[in-house]
Amino acid sequence: MGETLLPQTLFLAMVGGYAATAAALVVPQSPRLSRWVGAAGSTIGASAGLALAAAVLVTGTPFVAQAPGILTPAGGLLLSLDRLGALFLAVLSGVAIPASVFGLGYTAGYGGRYSLGWMAFNTGGFLLAMSLVVCAANVITLVLAWELMALASYFLVVTEHDDPAVTRAGVWYAAMTHAGLLAILAAFFLLGAASGSTGWSFGELRSASPSLSPVVRNAVFLLALAGFGSKAGLVPLHIWLPRAHPAAPSHVSALMSGAMVKLGLYGILRVGLDLLGVGPLWWGTVVIGLGAASALVGVLYALVDDDLKRLLAYSTVENVGLVCLGIGAGMVFRSLGDLEASALAFTAALLHVINHAAFKGTLFLAVGSIVHATGTRDMNRLGGLARRMPWTTPVFLVGALGLAALPPLNGFVSEWLLFQSFLPGVASSRASIAVLLTLGVGTLALAGGLAAATCVKAFGISCLAIPRSSRAEAAHDAPGSMRAGMVALALACPALAVFTIPLLRTVTSVLGELMAVPGAWPPPNAGFTVQAPGVDARMSPVAILVVLVGVLAGVWLAVRLLASRRRRTGETWGCGRIVQTPRMQYTATAFAEPLRRVFDELYRPADDLIVDVHPDSRYFIQGIEYRSRLPRWFMRFLYGPVVQAVVWAATRTRTLQSGSVNLYLAYIVAVLVVLLGLTIGF
Amino acid sequence: MKLFAKIRQVGLATEPLGPTHGRAGDPDPVELVRAIDERSRKVIGRSVAIRQVDAGSCNGCELEIGALSGPVYDLERFGLHVVASPRHADLLLVTGPVTRNMEVPLRKTWEATPDPKLVVAVGECAESCGVFAGSYAVAGRVADVVPVDAVVRGCPPTPTDILRGILAALGKVPHG
Repeated sequence: MGETLLPQTLFLAMVGGYAATAAALVVPQSPRLSRWVGAAGSTIGASAGLALAAAVLVTGTPFVAQAPGILTPAGGLLLSLDRLGALFLAVLSGVAIPASVFGLGYTAGYGGRYSLGWMAFNTGGFLLAMSLVVCAANVITLVLAWELMALASYFLVVTEHDDPAVTRAGVWYAAMTHAGLLAILAAFFLLGAASGSTGWSFGELRSASPSLSPVVRNAVFLLALAGFGSKAGLVPLHIWLPRAHPAAPSHVSALMSGAMVKLGLYGILRVGLDLLGVGPLWWGTVVIGLGAASALVGVLYALVDDDLKRLLAYSTVENVGLVCLGIGAGMVFRSLGDLEASALAFTAALLHVINHAAFKGTLFLAVGSIVHATGTRDMNRLGGLARRMPWTTPVFLVGALGLAALPPLNGFVSEWLLFQSFLPGVASSRASIAVLLTLGVGTLALAGGLAAATCVKAFGISCLAIPRSSRAEAAHDAPGSMRAGMVALALACPALAVFTIPLLRTVTSVLGELMAVPGAWPPPNAGFTVQAPGVDARMSPVAILVVLVGVLAGVWLAVRLLASRRRRTGETWGCGRIVQTPRMQYTATAFAEPLRRVFDELYRPADDLIVDVHPDSRYFIQGIEYRSRLPRWFMRFLYGPVVQAVVWAATRTRTLQSGSVNLYLAYIVAVLVVLLGLTIGF
Repeated sequence: MKLFAKIRQVGLATEPLGPTHGRAGDPDPVELVRAIDERSRKVIGRSVAIRQVDAGSCNGCELEIGALSGPVYDLERFGLHVVASPRHADLLLVTGPVTRNMEVPLRKTWEATPDPKLVVAVGECAESCGVFAGSYAVAGRVADVVPVDAVVRGCPPTPTDILRGILAALGKVPHG
C-alpha cells in the first residue's frame, strides 16, 4: 500500500511546492520573504519532481492520475507519467533545483524595482506547467499545460518591463510561441478527429494512428514538427531564442534553455516516435535537415556574437540541432528497420538532451553571476574576472568545456555517441542514406569545431587578461546562494560523464518502452566502456578522466619538484610599449574575425571604415572609425514579409472598428441574420 | 615559374667562410662560432638565443648583425639564432646610443628577458654614444641603462667582432 502511494505523494508534493510559490504574492511588501518563499517552493517542488521521475524511471510503472470532472467535454484532465516523460521531468527538475537556489540570490538585485512576489509566482507556475506537460496523457491536458508554460515564461521574460528591448523580445517570444501553439493544436485536432476517439487520450491516438491515411499522418507530423520545433528553437523558428534569453533574468534563461527548449524536443519525440509510430523515410530526413541547419546556423551566429547571453542562446539553437540530428538518424534507421542503429541514435540524442541541460544551465548561471557582478553582458566590456570572481570562473570554464564537447566532461560523451550513431549509416548500401548521413557527420564535426572556438572566445575574453571597463574592474563574486546553485550544477557535468553507463541504461529503458529495442542493446559493457554496436568503437569517460587528471597532476608535480623556486614577477611583454591599456587586448570581435572571414559568404557583413584625415595632408590621420554589422537574414527575408503582411491585414481590419455604436449594432444584426439563415437552411 | 628558373640559374649563393672575410689577423669565424657554441652549451645548456635591440642606432650595426645571418656567416647552421621576443632570448645585442624614447623600452626588454641573461653593447655608439654624445635626444650609453657584459667597439664592428663580443659575454657567466 505504501509503495503504491509513494508516486502520488511525490506528485502532490511537487504540485504543492510549486503552488506554494503563490504565497509569495500575498506576502505584504517584503521582497526578502517573497524571494525565500519562491525559492523554497520551487526547490521543494523540483526535488519532489526529481524523486517522482526517478521512481518512474526505476520501477517503470507509469504514474497515473486523472480528474475527469474537469473539462469533461474535452476528455477531462488525464495525467500519465511514463518513462519518456519521466526522463524529461528529471532533466527539468534537475535544472530547476540549482536554478531556484541561484535565483534566491540573483533576484535580490530586483528588489524594489520589480515585483518579486509576481516573479516567484511565475517561476513556480512555469515549473509546474513544464512538469505537467510531460505528465499529460491527453490532448487537452497537454495543450493547457503548454499554454500555461508559455504564459508564465512570457511574464518571466518581460520581468525588466521598463526596458523597450525587453518588451520587444517579449512580443517576439509571445508571437512565436503562439504560432507554435497553433500548429500543435492543428496537429492534435487533425490526429484526434481522424482517430475517431472521444477522449483524445494518447493511448487512443497511439492505437489509432497506424490505420490512418498517409496524408493525415504526414500532415500531423509536419504540423507537430513545426509547432514543437518553434519551442525547441529549430531553424528557421529559432528567432525568439536570441531575443528572449538575454532579456530574461539569468536563472530563468537557464530554465528556458536547459528545460523548456527540451520540451519542444519532447513533443517531437512524443508525436514522431510514440504516437505516430514508424513513419516513412523522409520524416527522419526532414528532421536531419532541420537539425543540420540549426546546428550550423546556431554555431555560426554564436561564434560572432559579443553578447554573452545571446551567444549562449545561439549555442542552444546549435545543440537542439545536434539532438535533432540524432533524432532524425534514429527515425531514418527505424524506417529502414535497423533497430540497433536506431536505438543507438535515439540514445545519443536523449543523452545529449540531459548533458546539454547540465552544461548550458551551468553556463547561464555563471553568466548570470557575471551580469550580477558587472551589469553588462557585452564581452568587450568584461575581462579579468578570473582574479575577481574565483567561484564563477571555474564554473564558467566547466560549462564551456562541456559545451565545447571536450573530454572528460559530459558534452564529449554524447557528441561522441552521436558520431558513432551516424557511422553505421555512412556504410549503408542505399546511396541516398549514405550521402545524407555522411553530410550529417560533416555537420557534426564542423559544428563541434566552431563550438570549441566559441567557447575559447566566451571564456577567454570574459575571464582572462585585464578588465576592459571600470565595472568589470569592480566585479565581486556572487553571494552564497548563487555560488551554491551554480557549483552544484557545474559538478553535475563531470558526474554525468562518470556515470555514463547507468545513464545509458536509463535512457535505454526509456526507449524500450517506445520501440522494440534489440536484446543486444545496450551491449554488455566491460567495466566503464561505452560500446557502440554496428561499429567497433570503445570509449571510457572514466579512463579518460583518470588519464587526464593523472597527466595534469604529473605535470604539476614535475614543475613543483624540478623547476627553480626562484620567481620574478614582471609585466606582460608588450614590445616595450610605455603604457599598456585594456584597449590593446584581443577583443571578442577580433577573435572571431578570422573565422568570420572564412564564412564571409554566409554572413555577408556590412563593414564601414571611415578615415578622418587632416585637411592639409591626407597622411595625417585624425580619426579612424570602423563599424561592422551582420545583417539578420532570417529577419529580412523570412520574418520581414510576414510581419509586413500581418501589419497590413491588421490595418485593413481596423476599419471595421469605427467607434460608432450604430455600426456595431448593424454588425450584430447582420451576424444574427446570417446565423438564423444558416439554422433555418440546415 | 620564373622563380624556379632563377633558382636553377643562380644555384646556391653561399661561399665557404674563411680567413678571406674580415681583416687580416682576425681569428677564423668558424672557429669562433664553434667556441661560442661550446661555451653556450656549457653555461646555458644549449645554443644561445639572441634578441637584437635597436636603442637608437644609425642601422650601420644592424647591417653587420644582419650579415651574421646572411649567406656568408649563416649563424643558424651553428644553432645561434635571432629570436622574435626577449622572452625567448638568452642574450641581448643592443646597438646605438640609448635615445630618450628608447630608454624605458630597453629597460623593459631587459626585464622581460629571463635569467640568466647577457647583454652585449654593439658599436661605438652603444659603448660611448659616439658622435651623438651630448645630444639632447640621447639618454646615455647602454651601460647607463642596463648592465652590460661585453662591449664590441667599431663603427660599425665587423661580424667577426660581434662574434668575439658574444664569446666574451658568455665567458662572464658563472657556471650553474
